[in-house]
Amino acid sequence: MSRSLVVARRELGATFDSAVAYVQIAGFGVLANALFVNEFFLAGRLDLDAYFRVLPLLLAVFLPAASMRLWAEERKHRTVEFLLTLPIRSGTAVLGKFLASLALLGVLLATALPLVVMLVVLGDPDLARVASGFVGAFLGGAFLLALGGLCSALTRDQVVAFVLATVASLFLVLTGREEVVGVLDGLAPDLGVGTFLLERVSILPHLERFAAGRPGLDGVLYFVLGSAVLLWATGRFLDDDRD
Amino acid sequence: MIDVTGFTKKYGKDLAVQDFTARVAPGEIVGFLGPNGAGKSTLLKAIATWITPTSGTIRVDGNDVVDAPLAVRRVLGYLPEHNPLYEGMNVRAFLEFAGRMRGLDRARLAERLDWCVRACSLEDVLRKRVHQCSKGFRQRIGLAASLIHDPRAILLDEPTHGLDPVQVAAFRDFLQELREGRSILFSSHVLAEVEAICDRVLVIHRGRLVRDARIADLRDEARDAGTTLEKLVLSFVRSTPHEVTA
Repeated sequence: MSRSLVVARRELGATFDSAVAYVQIAGFGVLANALFVNEFFLAGRLDLDAYFRVLPLLLAVFLPAASMRLWAEERKHRTVEFLLTLPIRSGTAVLGKFLASLALLGVLLATALPLVVMLVVLGDPDLARVASGFVGAFLGGAFLLALGGLCSALTRDQVVAFVLATVASLFLVLTGREEVVGVLDGLAPDLGVGTFLLERVSILPHLERFAAGRPGLDGVLYFVLGSAVLLWATGRFLDDDRD
Repeated sequence: MIDVTGFTKKYGKDLAVQDFTARVAPGEIVGFLGPNGAGKSTLLKAIATWITPTSGTIRVDGNDVVDAPLAVRRVLGYLPEHNPLYEGMNVRAFLEFAGRMRGLDRARLAERLDWCVRACSLEDVLRKRVHQCSKGFRQRIGLAASLIHDPRAILLDEPTHGLDPVQVAAFRDFLQELREGRSILFSSHVLAEVEAICDRVLVIHRGRLVRDARIADLRDEARDAGTTLEKLVLSFVRSTPHEVTA
């Protein structure tokens, strides 16, 4: 674990050494908060439902941008050979980079702090429900980062990694939307592909339950075990794809 | 210290190295000589546990590279040919990172960092970022990172690439200082360099070891044959011998 933290620290340093990270954080914060505030004043309810409704789509686009460089850059500059000939397992490096990306996720979600403060100032919001929504967003975001990390390990090109991860993330989010489920089910009614993807694959139903203040063990297991499997797969791929 | 027995590496159908056997004892500097693409880097990568052998065994300090790669990496210092460095880090932070990843505690890291900076003459660039350093300095940064944990076996892949003649001469002296108790294997395609630094030379051609001989013995052989050392070595790589000379 301590070596993972050393990797995480280096990775965080590299991330925040670049203006890209600050642009990402600012862009995410402005977009998420603006979309929320617009709907907040229209609905006139003292909750963050509107924020958590738009969040999955934003995470599906912004997190691949955060994870795309994790391994693609190491592979491109061949520093992966330096890193993985140090006396650590691949999993240690994978975990370290994942921890660093989680820290960035934490910062992205922290941009919603003014919204929470605003709710508290305006009245008496259900803070347990708000907290549940953020826990879900963090776990779901971690899952998408693990997925993005795997996509980054598959290529030396950050743009390819970004596109792969964005497509995969959007798939996991959009297959949870009613209109998409309807279209997919309509294409092959006997197979019920849309319903199957909604119930078994999509991350959206889990995120919605967290946002509604009803987190389930299945959602926690989905995100935690899913992230673990993706991190393991990343380590295996890095072990197997050496030249 | 470094024992390679029957090492073979295939990439698909391509045979990169075939049935390679050699040993580097503690205190010995062995030069690994061969034309580009001969398989030098492949062998060094396998010893460094970056790639796995298709067949054969490689042991470093008694540890097998496949069964105990972490144990091998703990005692090994490895400078790859392309010298991968984290460009955005400053030199000190990069070396500290290498030391921490090698498990050095704070006191030991400070001691080793001090030694590496002095040994590799990095005082002037310690606060600079890696990408701001010249090629010669970058090579020395890579070397310092590979020595930060005081390794017992050292692999250097084309270590003098990018160094000016003064730096090359300093590097030769530095390797002689390092040799005590350590097994050093370094690759080059420059005979003069190997001749000046090494006790022994391994000549590789088309993935096969074509000669394993002491430099002094090769000089004698060249003299007896009425030729130069360079021409003698060239004769090894121009033909494709079927026998390995130990």
